[in-house]
Amino acid sequence: MHSTRHSTRHATRHLGGALSALIALALLAPFATPTLPGAAADVKLIALPKRDRVEIQLDVPGLTLIEEERTIPLAKGANDVVFAWANTAIDKSTIQFRCMSDPENVQVISVSYPPNENALTWQVSSPTAGPAKVRISYIIGGVDKSYEYRAEAANDEKKLTLWQYVQLHNRTPESFGEADMFAGYGERLERPIGANETRKILAAKFENVPITKTYTADLAQHGYLDPAKRQLKIPMHYVLKNDAANGLGRFPLQAGKARIFIADGKAEGEGTTAFLGEDWAAFAAKDDELKLFLGVAKDIVVTRTIERRDRKKTAGPLSDYDIVVKYEIENFKDQPVSIDLAESIAGLRAEVLGDAPRAIEWVLGTEGSLKTPDALKSTSDRVLFHVDAPARGADQKAQKKTETLNIVLKNEW
Amino acid sequence: MIDGTHATLLAATLALAASAFGQQIDVSTLPPREGVQLTIYNSEDLTLVRERRTVTVAKGQNELQFSWANTLIDPTSVEIEFPRAKGGSLEVLDTRFPFDRPQALYWNVRSDFDGEALVEISYFTSGITWSADYVGVTSDDEASMTFDGYVAISNNSGADYSDAQVRMVVGTVNLVEKVRELAERNLLRQQTGGVPPWQKEEGDKVLEREAFKEAIVGAARPNDELSSFYFSSGAPPEIVKEGLSEYFIFTVAGTHDVKNGWANRLRLFEGTNVPVKTVYRYRPMEYGEQLVKLFLVKNDTASTLGDSPLPDGAVRLFRRQSTGGLSVIAFVPTKYVPIGQEFEFNLGRDPQVLFERLATRTWRDDFWFKRGNQDKLYSPTKGDRVNENDTVVGWSDHYGRVERIRNYRGAPINVEFRFPIDGDVTFVSSLNPTLFDFRTPDFKTTVGAGERKDLAYELVTRQGSNATQNAVKLEAAK
Repeated sequence: MHSTRHSTRHATRHLGGALSALIALALLAPFATPTLPGAAADVKLIALPKRDRVEIQLDVPGLTLIEEERTIPLAKGANDVVFAWANTAIDKSTIQFRCMSDPENVQVISVSYPPNENALTWQVSSPTAGPAKVRISYIIGGVDKSYEYRAEAANDEKKLTLWQYVQLHNRTPESFGEADMFAGYGERLERPIGANETRKILAAKFENVPITKTYTADLAQHGYLDPAKRQLKIPMHYVLKNDAANGLGRFPLQAGKARIFIADGKAEGEGTTAFLGEDWAAFAAKDDELKLFLGVAKDIVVTRTIERRDRKKTAGPLSDYDIVVKYEIENFKDQPVSIDLAESIAGLRAEVLGDAPRAIEWVLGTEGSLKTPDALKSTSDRVLFHVDAPARGADQKAQKKTETLNIVLKNEW
Repeated sequence: MIDGTHATLLAATLALAASAFGQQIDVSTLPPREGVQLTIYNSEDLTLVRERRTVTVAKGQNELQFSWANTLIDPTSVEIEFPRAKGGSLEVLDTRFPFDRPQALYWNVRSDFDGEALVEISYFTSGITWSADYVGVTSDDEASMTFDGYVAISNNSGADYSDAQVRMVVGTVNLVEKVRELAERNLLRQQTGGVPPWQKEEGDKVLEREAFKEAIVGAARPNDELSSFYFSSGAPPEIVKEGLSEYFIFTVAGTHDVKNGWANRLRLFEGTNVPVKTVYRYRPMEYGEQLVKLFLVKNDTASTLGDSPLPDGAVRLFRRQSTGGLSVIAFVPTKYVPIGQEFEFNLGRDPQVLFERLATRTWRDDFWFKRGNQDKLYSPTKGDRVNENDTVVGWSDHYGRVERIRNYRGAPINVEFRFPIDGDVTFVSSLNPTLFDFRTPDFKTTVGAGERKDLAYELVTRQGSNATQNAVKLEAAK
């Protein structure tokens, strides 16, 4: 039922000065029945308040919370406040109305949801006439964030500078003006974000972060580069540790695309950088490692063969299998490198014996040159060694270094 | 440019409030470009463009616009730096990608001073590629060759780059998203009024990629007549080769015009007297079930090569005839070759070298029998008596084998064998074999000119209860 006291035409206007705001907030006179923009209704438009400020909370992935503050003129008694939107994915069930200036006395009496409309009406009671500061919050789709990193390694690849950017994507036709944004950690960012706009902002910069460059030979994880020649694929990584001792550790590093560059080593002001590649950086909690994949090494050649597979009968149907894995390593670089040589025991067993539905009992044999695995990084399933490979000589010859791993699989049948 | 009208950098100083909602900025200046550097990667369709310009900034907040109509620039890669700015005097506050101008972005830059500032803008573009190719000409006896390397640069990016320093990167970079797709995503948005690329048919994308690939491959074909590099300098420019991390960078001396639609081919190196080792190999794991002829060459200074890795590329091999003319040996691809490594050209079968694998004899011995439900096994070889109803549970198969090579060439040849054998096997021979791995014998021989050579061996394969291993043992023939 419409109040007969209000007979002016309904009006809808854009709010907040944005380019294409489609969220409309209208105040109806005291005791006016809720009526919606777009509907043929006779209501008096009392005021059309602009947003005083907007906060965008992006800390929970997939659930972006908008909080907007407006100052609305309330009449004494009941007021109808209409909130409507179009072309914007607002979750109707999450819309909240709170009065910040007089929360004790300005109260929402009821909320009405008209059928087939993106709108609602709050009936708000106020003990006095005058302006009230209110906060309207809601979950919105189409507004989210992503992270991007730029890593610039020093020419000697011992340290790097890491820039972390947060990108705010507003895929809605709504402009949020000078929004106060919080991405979940770090400083709050105050930036305008227009309709269908992306903003990229430097969130953090870390200088002189120590890095380790790794070369990993692990058949089970990375496979062959050239299966016919038994040449292993050797992926390279920069490994950073997200802790204070390594210049990081202020917060977890969020997942995002990382572009990796290296300084070309020329004098200050003369030098530039070269692009090394990019990787999807995984989430790295505090104290965890962040590994950035650099591609596959072409100047490090590791061929792996099973040199020995000797079955030794023990008791009844039981046998031990004495296996020697041979790695021939050639480093064609003019710098020595350290290679992480890993062997999957399950993979090795499958290779020489086939699969079996039982746990693998094994010991390190005495005949291999690889005798001391990395105690921290080895497990019952994967054994890891660090092997130094000397640089190629002045005659450009790469010294072929041979390492052997002796594994004895016990009590197999 | 990026020359002409393709990419522009506009500077405008704005009051903070005016920039708040992404209003279009009026053109104030178009600063001249002071230098451009192209770093072209051959493993991906990727070029890093770095250009320097001087812009005038005002103290306070400035907005710089960068736009790139009808090019293949990846908008997510565009970055700006201030190479000579004193610490903190210029700072990018944020970067804005407006919806209404798909191929443009705005940098919101804070300056501590009024005046000129040098800016370096870098971005990835697609459509500029380089590739290597080689021409080898062997001596008549195939003992040595001249081996020349070339690089071909082609530009199909939609943009001209004048007076550019050109660098080519040898090595593989890892990309998690293709530059061309990122660039096209933006282009498409412009062309379709916002239809996102993931709504396109996958088939269309494939066709687009193939069309592009074809265009690139076509354009990369060497064509010296198109070479602005030669025209600009009057002589082939030097190519400086430097190592950086896992990569090698070839820098073409001087600056050159890299024009859209053009291709240029430059000589990378000249190998004048490269020793060639010829070998024939039967290695089914590597070359299939055939005896193939290989040229082995080393990428080192002793071979008049070795001043850089050899990028992968096509190789055209010819033989110099005693009459002075050339004959084709093979057109083959080669993979990346590090400095110091030996590499091979697989020339396939040689019609003048015939190879046959012959089975000469088969016999069995060392039988073991089982009687009824007894656990005990009986061996006639050990003197046990066996009955007609006993079951054979173990034995050894013997296979006589011959690898026969007939060499109709006018010179001796070296032949190498490596093939895996399954089972519990003893390889009995006088061939002085070694084991490549636990089941793969490896042996070699020389076959004289016009000679036929039979390499005989015996395989003893233990079967049934006789089989205790799955490996090959080597044993000298008695």
